Amino acid sequence: MPGYSPINKKMIQVPVGPGSEVFSKRGAMLAYVGRVSFEPTATAGQGIGGALGRAMAGEHAPMMRVTGQGSVMFGHGGMEVSVVDLAGDQLFVEADRLLVHDASLQVGTMFMGEQGGLSGMVRGQVTGQGLFTSTLSGHGSVALLSHGGVIELPISPQRPVHVDPQAYVAHRGQVQNKLSTALGWRDMMGRGSGEAFQLELSGSGVVYVQASERKI
Amino acid sequence: MLAVDMAGETIRALNGSMVAYEGQMTFKRQGMTGGEGLRGAIRRRVAGESITLMEVTGHGTVYLAQEATEVTLVQLAGDTLFVESDSLLALDGQLQTGVQFIGLRGMGTGQGLATTKVEGYGTVALLSDGPAIALEVTPGVPLCVDPHAYVGHRGQLQQDIVTDVNWRTVMGQGSGESVQFRYQGHGLVYVQPAERGGMLEI
Repeated sequence: MPGYSPINKKMIQVPVGPGSEVFSKRGAMLAYVGRVSFEPTATAGQGIGGALGRAMAGEHAPMMRVTGQGSVMFGHGGMEVSVVDLAGDQLFVEADRLLVHDASLQVGTMFMGEQGGLSGMVRGQVTGQGLFTSTLSGHGSVALLSHGGVIELPISPQRPVHVDPQAYVAHRGQVQNKLSTALGWRDMMGRGSGEAFQLELSGSGVVYVQASERKI
Repeated sequence: MLAVDMAGETIRALNGSMVAYEGQMTFKRQGMTGGEGLRGAIRRRVAGESITLMEVTGHGTVYLAQEATEVTLVQLAGDTLFVESDSLLALDGQLQTGVQFIGLRGMGTGQGLATTKVEGYGTVALLSDGPAIALEVTPGVPLCVDPHAYVGHRGQLQQDIVTDVNWRTVMGQGSGESVQFRYQGHGLVYVQPAERGGMLEI
């Protein structure tokens, strides 16, 4: 299956054909060539149970199913697009950052509270990421939206990476995350450095960080 | 995005601009005076060139970014860089900052009456909306720039304001380029390919 090809930093072209359907963010199509149809989907390839889980989790970025024969150009909000290729591993990403992904990928919703119990819930509340995150696994490609492009930072057991929760985009691999705080009396007085909460990622994998602190 | 490798040094960066780091880092907001002393703080308050910086200390790599804007690095070797306070991302700990009054040119351009100066030996990271270019100014060839696209300048430069206000501008039919900064002397001017919103549409 030919991969996703970037047209410029903010647009990608995705070939669609029989057996290579994609799911995309609803309304993110810019142009297409060929006979392509777009149908809204409530389940986003997760089945009824998954859809219920998503609805409960608040991870409900509306998606659509793109089928037919041709090639489609996608972009959204002038944000930059980065393509991640998955080869059997799992990607964790916020649902509203997903622009396009192959229909062959398994999509799921993960309860972040599983990682770290109560502190996981606190982390979701504090960082505004919600308690749930989307997971994609299998073989295929994913296009992510970011403000200002992403850099990939490798994580190794000896080298944990700290990320500003607002600049976090996605991560993959065997990674544990926890919220680390550096709250001092200065923060209480409203004179903090603006870096009181950080997401600490440890294990082995990759984290994607965007060049801005703006959410979608 | 800017990556800074650190081995125990201190840098100063815009408050809240860290997006990620590896290694051991501490972030501390600078005091009221920002290393400029009490007089410096009062001058800065009066001038409206307020900047909030934090001190970053540690071993490892820190990644800084702000609103997806472009970063330009400027090396200073004992000379002075003049920069708008909202275009400053980070600077080496040993550089000195201060406020320079520049007269009435800022009225109406939304830039205030003063600008921030950085002097000493080290590196300064500037923010610009789109990649900044450095334009050289040589004696005899003055350079005019749009005040909204101006980011900073260095060297032996005299700055004055050129106006081209006529009855068309007053009637709201101006070309949008009625006020310019003119630089004469010897130095570099940094310009960004976008125009900040000012107080007045000029």
